[in-house]
Amino acid sequence: MSLGLLLLLLAVLTVLAHVAGRRRAMRLVGGDLRKLHSLPDFYGRTTALAAAVPALILILVWLIAQAPLLEGRAMGRLQPTDITAERPLEAVRADVIRLADGLARLASAGETPAADPAALVEQLKAHGLVLQAEPTPGVLAAAESYRAGVVLSKVWLSLATIAVMALGFLLAWWRISPDFRARNATEGFTLALLVGASLIAVLTTVGIILSLLSETIHFFRLYPAAKFFLSTTWNPQFAGGSSLGLWPLVWGTAYVTVIALLVAVPIGLFSAIYLSEYAGPRLRGVIKPAIEMLAGIPTIVYGLFALITVGPLLRDWIAQPTGLGNSSTSVATAGIVMGIMVIPFVSSLSDDIINAVPQSLRDGSLGLGATPSETVRQVVLPAALPGIVGAILLAASRAIGETMIVVMGAGASAKLSLNPFEAMTTVTVKIVSQLTGDSEFGSPETLVAFALGLTLFTFTLVLNILAQIIVRRYREQYE
Amino acid sequence: MDLERDVTTHTAKIEARNVQVYYGDNHALKDVDVDILDKTVTAFIGPSGCGKSTFLRCLNRMNDTIPSARVEGSIRLDGEDIYDPRVDPVQLRAKVGMVFQKPNPFPKSIYDNVAYGPKIHGLARNRAELDEVVETCLKKAALWGEVKDRLQSPGTGLSGGQQQRLCIARAIATSPEVLLMDEPCSALDPIATAQVEELIDELREQFSVVIVTHSMQQAARVSQRTAFFHLGHLVEYGETAQIFTNPKDPRTESYITGRIG
Amino acid sequence: MSGSLLTQDKRTRARNAAEARFRSYGIVAIILALLALVWLLISILGNGLPAFRQTMLTFPVTLDAAVLDKADTRDPQALAKVTTITYGKLLSRALSAELAARGIDAGTLTDKDIGSLISEESAAQLRDKVLGDPGLIGSTITFQALATGRIDGYYKGRVTMETAAKDKNTSPEKLALADKMKDAGILAMRFNPGFILLPDASDKRPEAAGLGVAILGSAYMMIVVLLLSLPIGVAASLYLEEFAPRNRFTDLIEVNIANLAAVPSIVYGILGLSFFINFAGLPRSAPVVGGLVLVLMTLPRIIIPTRAALNAVPPSIRDAALGVGASRLQTVFHHVLPLAMPGILTGTIIGLAQALGETAPLLLIGMVAFVKDFPSAPPEGLFDPASALPVQIYNWTTRGDPGFVERASGAIIVLLVFLIIMNAAAIALRRRFERRW
Repeated sequence: MSLGLLLLLLAVLTVLAHVAGRRRAMRLVGGDLRKLHSLPDFYGRTTALAAAVPALILILVWLIAQAPLLEGRAMGRLQPTDITAERPLEAVRADVIRLADGLARLASAGETPAADPAALVEQLKAHGLVLQAEPTPGVLAAAESYRAGVVLSKVWLSLATIAVMALGFLLAWWRISPDFRARNATEGFTLALLVGASLIAVLTTVGIILSLLSETIHFFRLYPAAKFFLSTTWNPQFAGGSSLGLWPLVWGTAYVTVIALLVAVPIGLFSAIYLSEYAGPRLRGVIKPAIEMLAGIPTIVYGLFALITVGPLLRDWIAQPTGLGNSSTSVATAGIVMGIMVIPFVSSLSDDIINAVPQSLRDGSLGLGATPSETVRQVVLPAALPGIVGAILLAASRAIGETMIVVMGAGASAKLSLNPFEAMTTVTVKIVSQLTGDSEFGSPETLVAFALGLTLFTFTLVLNILAQIIVRRYREQYE
Repeated sequence: MDLERDVTTHTAKIEARNVQVYYGDNHALKDVDVDILDKTVTAFIGPSGCGKSTFLRCLNRMNDTIPSARVEGSIRLDGEDIYDPRVDPVQLRAKVGMVFQKPNPFPKSIYDNVAYGPKIHGLARNRAELDEVVETCLKKAALWGEVKDRLQSPGTGLSGGQQQRLCIARAIATSPEVLLMDEPCSALDPIATAQVEELIDELREQFSVVIVTHSMQQAARVSQRTAFFHLGHLVEYGETAQIFTNPKDPRTESYITGRIG
Repeated sequence: MSGSLLTQDKRTRARNAAEARFRSYGIVAIILALLALVWLLISILGNGLPAFRQTMLTFPVTLDAAVLDKADTRDPQALAKVTTITYGKLLSRALSAELAARGIDAGTLTDKDIGSLISEESAAQLRDKVLGDPGLIGSTITFQALATGRIDGYYKGRVTMETAAKDKNTSPEKLALADKMKDAGILAMRFNPGFILLPDASDKRPEAAGLGVAILGSAYMMIVVLLLSLPIGVAASLYLEEFAPRNRFTDLIEVNIANLAAVPSIVYGILGLSFFINFAGLPRSAPVVGGLVLVLMTLPRIIIPTRAALNAVPPSIRDAALGVGASRLQTVFHHVLPLAMPGILTGTIIGLAQALGETAPLLLIGMVAFVKDFPSAPPEGLFDPASALPVQIYNWTTRGDPGFVERASGAIIVLLVFLIIMNAAAIALRRRFERRW
């Protein structure tokens, strides 16, 4: 049974369970609902929940667990000779799964797979599937095992789901009696669901940390951590012997971020000051949403803007005439475009923070005969300074983690250079390029992306927490 | 009496004629005529929302900071109309200082709080002069003894009464001619209130002080002249003793005896 | 400080000048920010609008049975054996014949050269058309073929006679012939629905590339995001706002959510790759994986406004419901949640809009692959390979043919239109149901 059908069946059975539970409760009291502890719908709901929720959880767990289990079983069929130096385990694993997929396609097209490996490769090619290597008998056996497992797993999943539903339904059904506190039972269940939902946030964090850490550890087994953290060259090689030093990437990231902040902080801060201290409500009502529109534009749009407009413009008007470079992707391009993107983060947050400075301080200064700008510079800004620093930190964390603009605007060459018109690269660019490239998953060239990811995650997390603490302290001061 | 001779010898510092204030469509202050005398404490009393604070804020054009506020009529300081388009409110406010209801020290050191006015107006030629101004003002505000050893600690760390005296020191540091005080004691405890009131009495020797207060006892204690506002009108204005002992208007009498308020 | 109020002293004049300067910095900053916005939009619109119009060649094509169905049996198996190359030749000959019939002099250009003005994709389209309706064989139909990217680029200002002279894919003679065809009415710029409806095309055929698969893939992902993140987000917010005791565990969840909202999106891509694909074995390039990654990313962005909406419902409503004997859950589900619903939906739509434009995490889970087949209907279709709007844009920018820059900008216009519709819906919802307590 296909997954869609199974889910549909589950929905129908749940509705039926609801009706049945409600009916039973009503029949037990002869239709007099005053004799029931709870409203009849609650009895329906307990049976429906008991039938549906365990089944849904089963499906979810099954879907997540089936692939590793089936893979493990299939890989057991491999022969030791299948794994060679040029086709390591990871590659063979991919072959097996791809071949299994091909066998499934053949089966659905009603064709019998050819016995000869070479003929099989041709046959699969006709179905739009290209194999990396001719399958060995071991690989073929593993693929067949995997495919059989997938088919069998579907059948068992359907059966198990129906069995779990029936069991849950029957248990709930037996428990129904006029005294059964159906409302409390449903509510306890609902509350548990609510708790479960809020735990997903924690699980996400745990998932992020676990996946980054485990692959990073894997990486450091293959590549010395000291070299990663201390080397100043980044030069991945497909054939091995790469040097994967973090510093050129950190330098590029920092350079782009600094340029972005040089653009965003003055513009954002002065806009915020003008809007909160000088502009009337009508002007503010128009300008503020317009500036915030910049935050709603997807980063891919900024990336394209950097690639086709800003990059060539900087190259033709500044970099080439001054002889500083002739690449349209450059630190300056990415930095300026990212600065534009970050303006609303600086301006909105600064605006909030400046508005939180009590009016009494402004009155005090104006009452002494200070001009509005003296008041802003000497009283409002110093008072708002911690909050504004927090806002800038948040903007910096935003810029450090930004990917598309640098992928499309900064370039790909890892360099330690001071020239802003040269192409450089960042941590996020390299995460993308190492994980979307063609290298094998288990190689250090790919796994380094996880170490970079962990570095990025740690860095932005620290910046965020710092910013949050600063901003919170600042707000409490004026509450 | 001593007090009466004082009043009669002083000339009018501020003359307000036919002053109207509107907040949007709301006519908040109607037809106010007042002469504020030099080197005198004038109290504005009246129930909440009667316009006394509004009028006070007209005297140094602090109402300019509220976009919807509009002022009509004439207010003259030493004979010059302060609402004349040629007048810079910045210069005006240096002459007419203000102390607010809640103590609002800047988040700076005690020294910088007091030095703020002289610095922006360029009143001190060098550091030594500035030090002297700060010391004099803190002494005048009766705060010197308490803070002279911690001038560099933040002004926000002082107690409420000390903060308000710091704000007074800050206001007199620009050597104003008139000092406006908007319920300066409402956020203070009785001891701090007594200190501030004592201070106000001393300040009278150099400045003309205008104080808005909710407390009639306070008005009676510190002022020589009192104006009673009610529903946007100036009901009665005269010598404090006369207002409190022999009010001419029945509304003043009702307020003083506690029937409106 | 004595002297008349009516004259400004020197210092005041200087201070007022400083004031005016300071104020002008603010105005300049605002103008710069707005200029950046306008510049961005103009750049994208200017580059992208031409993508919605395409140069097309309209001419009669005789579907000769002798060429397309030699056995003359209309057997679908036999018809399917005829390749697009045959159809391409058919189109070249038909166009040459039309030129001859109209008396247009093709100069030194051969039939093959004339045929090279037609996009290779058109041969495939014609083949699909014939395979779909074999009855057409033997008749003469009026066919609308796409011109190649270079000819199209000529009419959009991308290609000039000078660049054509250096280009091995076209020549000035071909452009001159195109001009003649334009005068004869064979060649024209038309609105191009294929840009929205058709799937992607290969590197050499920008003229035929469309957003069909990408739009469908994005729609599938949005279904996943909506179906999962709205209920989970609301449930989590209800718990935290209405039921959670104030303790360290609750604090932990709250700090967690605040930080998740600021985790770089690419980190979610890494999570998707290592958990959903490598660990759970879900397929690459599948909308379900993209959807799940975006769900995790969108959740904190939905929880934060949802909690604000719940918090805005005054306690008096809860007291009233509890006072008549409703349970806490009944109170929340019957009274608080319906009242907070407009705010929750507004937050959800804005969260969805952000998810729709997200690119980086999708690159890591393989959505950048070239996908030409439409995914099947959900839920199975959720596991089929598909592209997504923002990823398709990125994919196009990495290709060599300059025609793809126009396509990418055009695709951004489509993306922005979707975003504007979603945000307008959110604003309308807020205006319509906004309630002040």
